[in-house]
Order: sequence, then structure tokens, then C-alpha cells
Amino acid sequence: MANDQVGSLILDNISKIFPQRDGQGEVRAVDDVSLAIYEGEFLTLLGPSGCGKTTTLRLISGFEMPSAGRILLDGKDISHRPPNKRDMAMVFQSYALFPHMTVFNNIAYGLRVQHVSRSEIKARVEKVLDLMSLPTLGERRPNELSGGQQQRVALARSLVVEPRVLLFDEPLSNLDAKLRVQMRSEIRNIQRRLNITSVYVTHDQVEAMALSDRVVVMNEGKIAQLGAPEEIYRHPQSRFVADFIGRANFLPVTVDSVTGERADITLLGQNMSSALTFDASAGNRLTAVLRPEALLLKNDPDLKQATVKQAMYLGASSEYIVDVDGQELIVVESDPSAEQIFREGQSVGISFVPETVHLLTQ
Amino acid sequence: MNNLIRGRPIAEFRRIIQDPVLFIGLILVVVFIIVAILSPIYMMVEESLTEKGQELFDRYLNSPVYRTIIRNTLEMGLIVAALGTTLGFLLAYIQVKVDVPFKRLMHITYLVPIISPPFAVATAVLLLFGRNGMISRGWFGIRYDIYGLDGLSLVLTLSYFTVAYMNLKGMMQALDPALDEAATNLGANKFRIFRTVTVPMLIPGIAGSFLLLFVEAIADLGNPLVMGGNYEVLSTRIYVSIVGLYNTTAAAVLSVILLVPSLLVFMVQRYWISRTSVVSVTGKPTGTPQQITHPLVRWLLFGAGLFVSLFILLIYGTIFAGAFTKILNINNDLTLDHFDFVINGYGSEAMKDTTKLAAIATPVAGLLGMVIAFLVVRKRFMGRAALDFATMLGIAVPGTIIGIGYLLVFNRPNEITLPLLGTITLIPKLTGGRAIFGGAGAIVLVFIVRSVPAALRSGVAALSQIDPSIEEASISLGADNIGTFRRITLPLIRPAFFSGLVYAFARSMTTISAIIFLTTSRTKIMTHQILNEVENGRYGNAFAYCVILIGIVLVAIVILSVAVGTTTGAEKTMEGGA
Repeated sequence: MANDQVGSLILDNISKIFPQRDGQGEVRAVDDVSLAIYEGEFLTLLGPSGCGKTTTLRLISGFEMPSAGRILLDGKDISHRPPNKRDMAMVFQSYALFPHMTVFNNIAYGLRVQHVSRSEIKARVEKVLDLMSLPTLGERRPNELSGGQQQRVALARSLVVEPRVLLFDEPLSNLDAKLRVQMRSEIRNIQRRLNITSVYVTHDQVEAMALSDRVVVMNEGKIAQLGAPEEIYRHPQSRFVADFIGRANFLPVTVDSVTGERADITLLGQNMSSALTFDASAGNRLTAVLRPEALLLKNDPDLKQATVKQAMYLGASSEYIVDVDGQELIVVESDPSAEQIFREGQSVGISFVPETVHLLTQ
Repeated sequence: MNNLIRGRPIAEFRRIIQDPVLFIGLILVVVFIIVAILSPIYMMVEESLTEKGQELFDRYLNSPVYRTIIRNTLEMGLIVAALGTTLGFLLAYIQVKVDVPFKRLMHITYLVPIISPPFAVATAVLLLFGRNGMISRGWFGIRYDIYGLDGLSLVLTLSYFTVAYMNLKGMMQALDPALDEAATNLGANKFRIFRTVTVPMLIPGIAGSFLLLFVEAIADLGNPLVMGGNYEVLSTRIYVSIVGLYNTTAAAVLSVILLVPSLLVFMVQRYWISRTSVVSVTGKPTGTPQQITHPLVRWLLFGAGLFVSLFILLIYGTIFAGAFTKILNINNDLTLDHFDFVINGYGSEAMKDTTKLAAIATPVAGLLGMVIAFLVVRKRFMGRAALDFATMLGIAVPGTIIGIGYLLVFNRPNEITLPLLGTITLIPKLTGGRAIFGGAGAIVLVFIVRSVPAALRSGVAALSQIDPSIEEASISLGADNIGTFRRITLPLIRPAFFSGLVYAFARSMTTISAIIFLTTSRTKIMTHQILNEVENGRYGNAFAYCVILIGIVLVAIVILSVAVGTTTGAEKTMEGGA
């Protein structure tokens, strides 16, 4: 982790242990996680369900207390501070709007708790309603709003109290696909504009990549990898990350020789060299990660031959499952022009972009 | 690793202490449960286990007389449970599955027994069907001896079937109609669906209602006193032991014998039935239940439903008529004498006292129920399940047992002697002569103890329906626990709060078994006075008491619905918006 920037929100060796449901044994939901979140940063916790991302968010928000470790905000230990004293606001997956209050009163709620004056409440709520393009809905009740509007109100309710940190718990997963994409860019724009430090939980890797300055991929309560989206996509440090972020083909390779920081390998009949991020020597068996879009199909008898097992035409692209020497690979062709469409059962030449190959130890 | 495991409960505990309001709330609840529920039950059991008590156990369990009493009690409980559950099921089935006229009106008449003052139903049945009954003798010319098991089964079933009815109706409505549709789709006819889908899905509800009615029936005191005749049950024997023989130990021993089946049933209900429940309430029924359309079945069911409605109207009509006539069936001249007796005469004190004490107990019980529900559903701490269990004991245990327990615990001041400070009175004498507030304190406490369980259950049901993140959102926006409870939770569970309050008031006004030993010359209770009037054959006065009591409860319901409201404020627009 880069140490040149000081994190404003720091998780210091945080663990959370739950007793198991049957009372026997325990579950380490979060296992010794350390993390520094920078001022104004948009950080996403990404992982499959049960990986500990939501628990981590709830530890930050104070709805759960850590079993071990500390949480620091601006240098102060807030590990055991109750959630209402943390100056953080959370946007929930279910929106969690107060059903018995109007939109205006929902948004004004946090300000009333802080005993802000009536006139200031009115001004601030109206401002945030404008910001979220909801100006005429103030007197409606939550159940009179569409899902997208409800999510906007939920976000407005959190923004209006101007929290030190904004927390998101899978806020878009109840929306339909189109609305999700739209809200995604709205959240990103507003966060950039207001420059609020944000922690966002999702299991949707596309959402994570689209929104984040940095992504934390979590697995089994631990951080699997931390980095900028393109870093994580291009250089996954483990098979798990490579598989979870986007799709990946894994091919076994043997190192022919090592020169400096590069290894010479033979892949799909091509000799090439690839950067090493770990120690390896000639004869080591490694795994090469090849993204589906890095594989190329062409009617060329000189190339290594593959058999098309399944072809799916998707409009903007075509997807193929091909068989190469008994191994199935996924190939995405983003230019399905007429001569580049292949039929099931057909034999076709396969190659790849050498620069995109990434090596893993296993 | 080990540090972490040990650290967990401490962290949770620290979390509770950190919120002083929550902590104080928890302490108050625990003190209430220990003082008002657990200690009386404990003292009663202890009293029964003294040397004298053990001798009595020996004697009772080996004496043919007492064996008959025990057998009678269980027999009566089983019959009432079977009849009441069957009746409740039938009526609920008609409401949910059959399209017949006057459904709504019939439904309302089935709810009437909820506010039945004790003795009212039994006395009315005696007048109608007894030896000189208006119907049995007047119409059919039979001198029917209704005293005993047959009469008792009738009045107890009439008094308690509503519980089974409401329970099963709720479950039937929650059954996903898609199940019926799937069965029809697979070729089953209506009867086959009833037999293979409806009934099996409702087994937990049927079993639950059966057990509930069993406990209510064996704990009932008022009806066996009036209707029992020579058919003695444990509750009447306990009553006689205290009121006639002043033998607290004997009463305690008999109470423990009564306590065993009651607690057994309570445990079965709690740990078995609640786990085998197959009905899942999704909150979003996918269609309307299929209706029974076969004309013969339909009209037979309609006839049965209507018959029950008319029978209930007949009983309550008799109560009204009896209150306004000199001596019903003998001298039918209209009179207001009985009301004069209650309102201006001897009964006015009891009327005012009872209403006042019930009015004090109601908000406390309602609020306490909601607070305990909140703690149980929303908070994680050690002993959460025990808290729920102990609160429920307040109603699971027969009222007579609570009453005797109170006599044993509170008939003297509870004191501790500390070095330096001397003797300190923790709880002053609450029952009997020279008790503080003339014994009213103990009565209010009993009212609360008997009402909190229902408020707790409706609170738990309502809270489980509310997404916890709604409360978390409030806390995340800076509100503390008490603010969140007041501004968010309480408004959202308002309907449950309202029904908890109504139940508490109705229960307090009509309870007899738990307070019959606790009334004093300074604190008179209406139900006790009704018993006196019935025992002395002054039915007119008793009926006037009942009518006034019903009137007071109805007025209270109106006041509560205005003061508290019956909606959350969220559903109004749901109708308008949809």
C-alpha cells in the first residue's frame, strides 16, 4: 500500500468474529483487514456474497463492533464510538426510507436531529432536492415514488447532513439494469462534485470499476487485492481476483527460460515473453491469464487450430466457446463483421495479443 | 484467538452500557420481570415444597377425590380445546374461503366474546338453558340440568373460541393462493385440496390454537364457579382453599399441580410448534384465495356460521335484557334499578376503582410490551430469549397462581438489613389489609403482568415486519436509540401498540382469577362484585355490571384509537397512491 498519502479513514488490523448459528464454533467474517482510505476518495469493497465486505462496511459505520483492531478517523480512534456519533451517513440497499414521513421530512430528518434551525433546514433540503433533480416531490410519501426516485431520496437524505464519510451498502442492486447504469453515473458525478470520502459495497464488478478510484477485492474475510480498477483488471494477483473481475481463461504454461524480470513461455503455439511479478525459474509450471477479448479468431490454417463448440451472437459482439487441445476457452470478438462470424463445429485459427498475457504462480 | 472469543460478549455488553437509555430500560424490564412475575411464581412453588406442602402433595395425589378433580380439569381442558379449535377453524374457513352474505357482520359477532366479562356468558346460558331456562323449559319444556361438564364446555368454548378463530383466519389468509392453484392445476378437486393442502399447512396453527384454548380453559375460574355444580376442577378447588379454608399451602400445592400441564403446554407451543410452522408470510399474496362454490357445501357452511352468530347475539341479548328488566323471565318489567345500583349505589366505587386502575395499567403494559419487543427483536445480548420467555410466563401461568404468588410475596414489606444503614424497605406491603394504596398497587401490577405478553407478541410480530435498516438509517443520520424508537419505531408499530393497549384495557377490566384474592375493602373490583351478585342470585345487578363494563371498554377503545391512532401514516397514501 502506498504510504506517501495519509489515510483519513484507517482500518487497523480489524477482525470481526460471529458465533455460528448453531452456537458451535465461530465465523471470521472479517479477518485481520488493514486499509487506509484517502480524503475525497471513492473506494469500493468488492467480492462475492459472504466475503466480508458488508461486515467491513458495518464495522466502519459502527453498526458492528470489531472483535479486534482499531478504526481511526482523522487520527482519532472511533472503534467503539456508537454509529450516531461517527459523522458518517449510510445509503442502504433497501433505501430504508421512513415510510411514514414525506420526502421532505425524510431528508430533513438528520438536520432535525442536529437541531438545525427551521429556515436552514428548508434551504438545505431544497438545495439537495434540486441537486438530485427531485424538486417537486417534497410532499410525496416514499411508497408513491419509483425505485429510482426512492434511491435518490435516500442519497439526498445522506448528503444533506454533509457527513465526513458517505457509506453505500449495495445501493443499486434493487434497481433494474438501465436505471442502475444511470444512477451509477449520477452517484459518481455527485461524489466528484462534493468530494466526499466514500466507501461503497457491491458484488457487481462492473459497478465497482465504473465508480471507484480504488477497488478492494475481498474473499473469505481477507483483502485479496487492492488497487485502481485497471491495475486489478490487468494484473490480478491471484486466480480468484482474475476470475472475479471480468472473465478469464487460465492456461497452464511452463517457463522456458528467465531473463531479468521476464519469462519466456510457449502459449498456444507462440513463443513470447511476459513480465514476472514473482520469482520463477526455467521449468516452473505457471498459469497464464488471458482475457476473452485478448484472444483472436481468424480463418488462418497457419495458426493453432481450435474448434467452435458454442457461438452466441450478441449484436455488439460475439461470444464463442472454443476447444483447443481439449481445453475450453471463452473468446469475445468485438467486431462481428460478416467474415468474422464462425459457426458451431467449425475449425478456426486462434491467436492472442501477447502484451495482455499475465502470469500467475498457480 | 481465545482473546477474541472472550472479548465478544464483553463488547456487546459494553455496547449496551454505552447507551444509558437502553441500559436503564433493560434494567427496569429485568427488575419488573423478577419482582412482578418470577418471584411470585417462585414463592408459590417454594411454599408448596415445605414439609406441610409435601404431605399435601402425597395426600392429594393419592386421594380419589382429588384424582377426580385433576381428571376433570384435564378432561374439560381437552374438550374445550377440541370444540373451540374446531369451531374457530370452521368459522375462519367460512370467512376466508366461502362467499356468503353477511360475512362482515358475522365476523364482528365472533369478536364480541373478547370483551366478555367473566360470569356474563355463563349466567346468560343458565337463564336460557338451565333448569328453568327460557329456552330449555320455556320452549321445549325440559328441566335440563346444565350444571357440570356439558354446560362448562359450552360456556368455555363460547368464551374462548375467538382466539382460535383469529389465529386460524390470519394463517389461512397468509397461505399463498398459488398453492391452491398449483393443486387445482395438477387435477385435485376442492375437497382433496382441503384435505391435502389447506389442513396440513395449518397444522401448526391448529395445534397452537388447541394448546392455547387448553391452557385458557384449565386456568378459568369464573365459569366453573358458576357452571361447575358438582363437577369440581382445580381452579375452583384452589379458590375454595384460599377463600373458604384460608389454607395458602394447600392452594399452593394445588396450583403447582395446575401449573404443570400449563407450563408443559406453553413449552410445547414455544419450542415445537413455532419451529414446525410452514406458513411463510411473504407480505405479497400473489392472488385471491379460490372460493368454495358448491351450492350445498356453501349453504351448509353459511348456516353454521350464521347459527354461531345468532347464538352469540342471543347470549349478549340476554345479558342486555337481564340488565334492563326486574328479574328476567319471572318479572319482565323494564327497570333501571340495576344500573342505579351499579352507577350510583354500592357498585359505583368498584366501577370507578376498576376503570382507574385499568387506565393506569394500560399505558404501562402497552409501552412495556413494545420496549421488550424492541429489545428482543432488535438487540443482541445474553438472556434475550429468557427475557421473552419470562415475560410470556405472565399469561402462560394460570391467573390464580399469580394471585396466590402475590399474596405470598407482597403480604409483608420486603426488606433487607444492611450494616450501618439498618433495615431498608425495598417493596412495601402491597396486598391485604394496611397495604399501601389500599392494595391497589398489587392489582395494577397484576393487570400489567397479565397484559404485557399480548402487547409483546403483537410488538414482536410488527417489528419483525420492519426492515432493520430503517432504524439503522435513523441512527446513521445522528439520532440516538431513544430518539429512533420515538420517531421511527413507535410510529411504525403503532397498530400493534394500539392493539396491545386495547387488549391490556379489556383484559384488565375483565380479569378475575388473578385479582380475586387481592381485592381489599379499600379497593373494589367490578369482576369480583359481579361474582358476589351472581352467587347471591341477583342476576340483574350482575348483568348491569357486565353491560357497563362492556360500555367502558368500548368507550376506551374509541378514546385509544383517537389518542394513539390505528395507522402508521404510511398506509393511507398506499391506498390513495395505488
